[in-house]
This record gives sequence, structure tokens and C-alpha cells, in this order.
Amino acid sequence: MPQRRNDVLQGTLALLVLKTLASTSRMHGYAITTHIQQISHDLLRVEEGSLYPALHRMEQQGWLRSEWGLTDTNREARFYAITARGRRQLAAEEETWEKLTEGVARVLRYA
Amino acid sequence: MSWLRRLSNTFRTRRLSSDIDREIAFHVAERAAHLLRQGVSEDEARRRARLQFGNPLAQRERARDVDVAEWLDALLRSVRHACRGLARTPGFTATVVLTLAVGIGANTAVFSVIDAVLLRELPFPDPDRLVRLTQQTEAQGETSETNTAAVRLDEWSRLSSTFVAITHFVWEDVSDTTGETPQSVRRATVGPGFLEVVGLPPALGRGFTDAEHRLGGPDVALISDQYWRNRLGADRQVLGRAIRMANRPYTIVGVLPPGFTFPADVDWWVPQYLDAPWTRSRQFRYEGVGRLERGVSLEQAMADLERVQAQLARQFPETDRDLRPRVTPLKDVYVRDVRASLWLLFGSVSLLLLIACTNIAALLLTRGAQRQQELAIRQALGSSRRTLALHLLTESTVLAVAGAAAGLVLAVAMAAGLKALAPTFPRLDTVTLSGPVLIYLAVVTTAVAVLSGLVPAFRITKLHTLRTGTHARATPRQPLHWWLVGVQVALSVTLLAGAGLLVRSLDRLSRVDAGFDAAGVVTFRITGSFGEERDYTRIVQRINRTLDELAALPQIEAAATTLALPGLPGGVASEVDVLELGDDGKARSAELRVVSPGYFDTMQIPILEGELCRRPEDARGVTEVMVNRAFAGRYIRGRAAVGLHLAATSPDRIAGVVGDAREIGIDRDPVPTVYQCFSAGTPIPWFLARSAARRGVPIEDIRRTLRNVDPQRSVYDVMPLDERIGGVYAPTRVRTILLSLFAITALLLACLGVYGALSYVVSLRQREAGLRLALGASRLGIIRQFCSHALRVIGAACVFGLLLSAAFTRALSGMLFGVSPLDPLTLSGVVALVLAVASIAALLPSARAAFAEPAQVLRGE
Repeated sequence: MPQRRNDVLQGTLALLVLKTLASTSRMHGYAITTHIQQISHDLLRVEEGSLYPALHRMEQQGWLRSEWGLTDTNREARFYAITARGRRQLAAEEETWEKLTEGVARVLRYA
Repeated sequence: MSWLRRLSNTFRTRRLSSDIDREIAFHVAERAAHLLRQGVSEDEARRRARLQFGNPLAQRERARDVDVAEWLDALLRSVRHACRGLARTPGFTATVVLTLAVGIGANTAVFSVIDAVLLRELPFPDPDRLVRLTQQTEAQGETSETNTAAVRLDEWSRLSSTFVAITHFVWEDVSDTTGETPQSVRRATVGPGFLEVVGLPPALGRGFTDAEHRLGGPDVALISDQYWRNRLGADRQVLGRAIRMANRPYTIVGVLPPGFTFPADVDWWVPQYLDAPWTRSRQFRYEGVGRLERGVSLEQAMADLERVQAQLARQFPETDRDLRPRVTPLKDVYVRDVRASLWLLFGSVSLLLLIACTNIAALLLTRGAQRQQELAIRQALGSSRRTLALHLLTESTVLAVAGAAAGLVLAVAMAAGLKALAPTFPRLDTVTLSGPVLIYLAVVTTAVAVLSGLVPAFRITKLHTLRTGTHARATPRQPLHWWLVGVQVALSVTLLAGAGLLVRSLDRLSRVDAGFDAAGVVTFRITGSFGEERDYTRIVQRINRTLDELAALPQIEAAATTLALPGLPGGVASEVDVLELGDDGKARSAELRVVSPGYFDTMQIPILEGELCRRPEDARGVTEVMVNRAFAGRYIRGRAAVGLHLAATSPDRIAGVVGDAREIGIDRDPVPTVYQCFSAGTPIPWFLARSAARRGVPIEDIRRTLRNVDPQRSVYDVMPLDERIGGVYAPTRVRTILLSLFAITALLLACLGVYGALSYVVSLRQREAGLRLALGASRLGIIRQFCSHALRVIGAACVFGLLLSAAFTRALSGMLFGVSPLDPLTLSGVVALVLAVASIAALLPSARAAFAEPAQVLRGE
């Protein structure tokens, strides 16, 4: 019986986070998870356990920068924004992803 | 930049940590609020939010895994772990630390000595502009370079335009009679412009005036900083005070600055008289030294002097026609004598370092191989490769740091030991541990230790399962190990060969037939001075009477005087004409020694032809000379030398021919020598007395006798001649001792290498050996099995080492005396020694395997 997996595939989390942040000025971690979940119509669920380590790693690689700020509800939260280097990385990862999906789609269609 | 951020993270760990906490708390709260909005109860919402998030602690740690603070923490843990691990194997740890210490310590000490004694720049301003001046003569196609006359150097100085100044000097050890007891000091007699040439003004007072450079001028002296401090208490009022040399007062006109050590470790400088016969002579030779004008090249200076000399050749055709000036950088002159030693020591410490590094590598490789199992277990239990590598790295680093620290201690001790070993070694008191060298060596050895320690970490990839670990079947031959062992053995053969040759030379030197017999001869001086009598004849008579009294003593076999002691380096070569042969265009250069006729009997130099010269009893000086066989054979071919006359100051008759003796250094072949027979070449000649009882010097009898002759005088500078000669060769001995120490250390390290490698092989195959023993194999067979490979490696290494020696000992050739660089006796002895010692090192672990109880071994695994 096929196992249903809606956890974000290993390796695509960075792509999703970058893409999410690319469309907005800044966003905190919780908002990122809900955003991905909503956009994907609950198909993708970001596991919180991997999100924060990933955010830290991406920040250290210079793809993101973070700052503390207040939410609409006036609570303190850490907001993440994409950097120029992050955008370059996003472009590269999108290209890779498209190639991969195209390849997989072809295989599924013709193999 | 990520590393920058990481680094900055270390300094704000706490903040970062609470940042993450706050961020996670916010996330959980948001999730709970969300669930609350969906109608879940508050407690349940919080519980589910936390549940969904997972373990906050683990989460936090993972988020921070990249953080340096954690990393440092892990490092500290790792260091503690490594120390515990190393303490569990004290033998291994001690060996590595000791090897590192030898590598770093010995090298640093030796390099520091080399640096202080040989490499440091001459301590004068603009040392590059200092040159030595000599003359080159050509006779029968043979060119020879010698010192030149004082008057000529003076003319070069005045007529040339490329020199600040040119001067000359001569130095000798004289007696300082300023204090109660006479002491030996080194005195340089220097020409005008000496201070200008060296380039350092006096620290106190002034240099010499022109009047002081004339006969009959005031007796003045400059003193060294050291003499000023040690003997005169650094008194700033010292100018105008007198020091006494042979009871003649010299007024101190200046104190030279510290480090003014030119021409050697001189205590006193006195002015040379430019109008004296010996400086006016165009044939008496002095050391010439000059300072070039700024920006003048050697070639320009040479061309300038050539021009001046061409002018002199027209003026003094007889003496100056065939002369050419030579200019050599002074530093080259200094380094020339020590360059060979320098390279020798440099080469041998480098080899030692190489051996030490090889040994460390082999030891760590062995240890790494032995713990493959442990590493495999740890990997199976979840250690990442990175953690294991970090662990190994830490362990090697701990070892390296400990070794470097021990090396530093050893270097300090060795430098102190070297000073004690050779108190007479020039400039050894300036030795300081060289920081850059120490750092360089620490880096090299540490790198070796760390790299070899890391090898197991690279190898773990091969271990996929624990099984490979428990039944480690590493190849028994372990080629890398044996290569390293081979290198060590080969290098120690090379070093031992070098040391062996030097020891043999030293031995030869001590047995060389010097042509004279120094054993049982005591040397001393008796106070006296030019000023003691108006009539020099009285001085001659006094010295002759002293000699007669000495010879009459039953304890003394023979006594004599001489100006220069036999067998000590240095000499006065001069050109000599044989009257009867006329001017045949041949240059006859001979060593001139002024001795009393008793010299030949005292030194046991045989008279081969003619008879002993007669002793002049008055101040008219030399009338008869003796020549040695080399002189007669080389310069007076085809006729009897006896009865011919030499033209020096007056025609001196050759009374006899004596055997060749190594007068100017026992390591130098005898040169043509003229012995001028005169007991009072100076009022304070050296006295030589041969004891009738071969051993022990009757110095008290000598003193008593001399008190009878002249109660005013005292005997000083007493020392057996062989001790004096031995002292001169102290640096040679130090060199030999050092190289021998290196070589023995190298051999020990190599044996350690053989032992370690074979122990490892044995440990791997202990089980197999036990099994074979249980099945009836002989113990001898087991030993043979283990040893044969080791012996093959050792044998091959010996051959290779011998080939290497051939290259290495070539560097020695200038230092060898009476031994060929490929001396078969030395080389075969070295190989025999290495084979013997290395075989024992190989035998021990093999025997351990062979004599172990099979049952125990088999149960043990």
C-alpha cells in the first residue's frame, strides 16, 4: 500500500522557503509553514522540526537575513527576508527542479 | 560570509541560544492560537502544538549544530577524551613525545648555535663593504695568494680612490701583567685607519694618532668592552690609566664598543709602527683589510688597485713586478673556514629530523591500524565520520603539542650543554634559542604528527561492517610501514657513516706523526720586557742562562725557547733567497720559526744532515739556521743544503737539515721551514721543557730553579703542550661529538621503528603464530618467519644507506684527516653495527610471539 507522504521532500525545503520569501518582503517561521501549506492546498506540509535548522543554515549561507519584529497581533517574532544571493540560489534551484520534474514526467509518461 | 558569522556566533552564544528559544516559543504559541481558533481547548491546543513541533530541545540543538560554541565544547570533550586515551598507552605516548622532542629540541639547539656562531652578520656597520686584501704571485705557472706587506697596504690605501681606508693587523696572545698574576690576553697590533675600516668609533676615548704609529711614539692601547668590564670594573675614568704588557705600561686612550670583535676576540689593540723595519719591508706580510667607498663594486676596487699596483711595479720592480692585488669580501673569508661544518651540521640535523618524522608517522600509523576495530565499533554505534576524524585529529594534536613542549625544554638543555661542552668555541656565548627555527620545526613535526594521525580516519570508509573490525586481517606486510622503517635505517646508516669517519679522523689526528713529540712537554713564559735592560745582549744572556739552568735539572730532559708554539695553527710565511743560487726567478716561500738550538732536542725533531746550529750569545741575533727536509728537497735540488746561506737580514748559514714537523697545525702537512737559531727572538719567548719522566710536569722544580736564577721573575701561562694543541682542535671535537650524538639518536630511533613495525605485525598475527605452534611448528620457525622480512628490509636499507653515504660524506671530505670518505673499515663497521642493533630490535617482538603460550594466545582473541 502506497504510503502517503505530504512532508516536504528532503532537499526541496530550501526551494520552497526561498520561493515563499521571494514573493513577500518578510515573513516569520510560522507564517512560512502556513503559507506553504495553504498554497499547496495542504498537499505539502513543512515539518517544523526541519524548518528552523534549515532557516538557520540558509541564513548562514547568506540566502536569508533575519530580524526581530512585531507581528500584526503585536507579538515579537523573528522575520526572514530573502537576500540577493538567495534570489540567485532560488533561480538555480528552480531550474534544477524543473529539469527534474520534466525528466520524471517524461519517464512516467513514456517508460 | 558563513565562517565570519560562525565566528561571531561564538561570541554571542547565549543570545543566539535564547533567540532560538524565543523563536520556537513564538511558533508553538502561534500554532496553539491557530488551533484555539479552530475550537480546540486551550490545554489541548498547546499540547498538540508542542507535539507537532517535536522535542524543542533536540530542535534547538539541531538548529544550532553549526554553532562554534557547540563545536568548541565538543573539542574540549574530545581533548579530554584524547588525553585519557593516550594515558592508557603510556609507552606509545612517551615514545612519540620523546621522538618529537628529539626532533624539535636537537634541531633547534643546533640551529641556534649555527645561527649564533656562523650565520649572524659580521657585527659591523655595512659589513658588505669590508674586504680582505691579499696579493697574488705567479711563479712557474703556479699562482699563490698570500698576505702582503704593511708598506704596500699603506701605499694601496693612499694611492687608491675606491677605499675609505686600508689597514693591516696582526694578533697574538700576550701576557697582561697589570694585576698580581700575569694573565693571557689577546692583543692586536693594527695599522692606521683601523677604526675607519671596521666602521665603529670607540665607545670611550679616541683612536690612535699618527704620532702613535711611529717608532718611539707613546705606548698607548685601546681595550675591549669585555676587558674593560671584567678587569677594570667598567670604570669610566679609565682613560689615561695604564695596563702593563710584559711590565711595560701602555696608556689606555679608548674603550671599544661591545661586540667589537675584530680581528678576533681581542682584548687589546696597540698601534703598529709604520716606520719600523718590519713594516717598511716589502716582504714581511700582514693581514690586510679595507673598507670600500659606498657604492663601489669589487670589480671597480680591483681595477683601481691594479692601477695603483702597476705604478708600484715601476717604482719597485724587484719586489712588486709580478704582484697582483686581490680583493675578497670579508664575510667570505670568515665563512670559508666554517662553511663545511655548517653544511655538515645542517645536513645531519635535517636527516635526524627526517628520521624523527618518519618514526612518528610509523608509530601513529601503527596505532591507527590497531584501533580500526575501536573506530568501527564507534561508527556502528552512531559516531559520524566527522566526529571520528575530529577525535583522531585531537589526539594527534595533543601529542604534537606535548612533543613540541618537551622539545623546547630539550633545546634549552642542549644549548646549555653545548656551551659547557666547548667553552672555547668562538661566539658561543651569544647563543640564544632561535624563535623562528623553533616555530618552523614545531610546525613541521606537528604537521607530520597530525597528518599521520589522520590516516585511520581516511581508512574508515573501507570498514562498512563491524565484522571487518573484529577480525582485522590487515595485510601482514604493511608495505608503508616497512618503507618508513627502511628510510629510517638507511638514514641512520648515512649519519653513522659520517660520524664514524669524523671519529676516525679525530683518532688519526691524535695519532698523527707530527714530526715532533708534544707529550711530556710543558710550555710557559717568564716575565720580561724590552725595557728591562738597556742592552739587549743582557736579555739574550739572561734567557740563555735560564735555559742552561733548566737543562741542568735532572727532572728535565731538554729545554728550549721559541716564538711560536709547534702544532698550533698560524705562522709567518716569508720569501727566502738562497745566496748561492742567485736570482733564479724562483719564489721560495718558507715558514720562519725563531727557536733556540735546544728546540730540536726538546721537540725530538731529528737532525738529518749537518749539525746543530750554534747559539748566538749576544744581540746580533741569528747567524745560523736549520732548514727542514721539505725546504731542502723543494728549493735546493741537486746540491747539499748544508753550508749554503740564506739572505734575510744577514747571510745565515744553513747548519743542518732536520726532519719535517707539522709546525703550523698538526692537521697541516709540513711546509718548507727555516728555523732561525736564536733563543731571544723576544724578551718573553715561549719556554718548552721536556720532562724526563714522560708523564707529569715538574713545574714546581722549574719555579724553584728560576727563583734562584732571578727572584724578580715569575713563571706564568703554564700548560702542557698537548693540552694547548688539544684546545685548538676543540671545535673539531665538538663537531665530532655532535654528529656522533645525532647518529646514535638516529640509530635508536630507527631501532624503535623496526621494533614498532614488527611488534605490530606480530600483534596482527599472534593468533596465527599460536595456531602454528599448537600444531607443532618450531619456535625457531616462527621467529624466522617474522624476522626474515624485517631483515630483508634492513639489509636493503643498509645498501641504500651506503649509497647515500657516498654523497653525504663527500661534504665531509674537507674535514677528514687521514681517512678517505669511502673508508671501507668505517663503512663496514657501521653496517655491521646497524645490522646487529636492528636485528636485536627485530628479534624481540618475534621472540615474544614465538615464546607465547599457544593456548593463551588462542583463548585471548
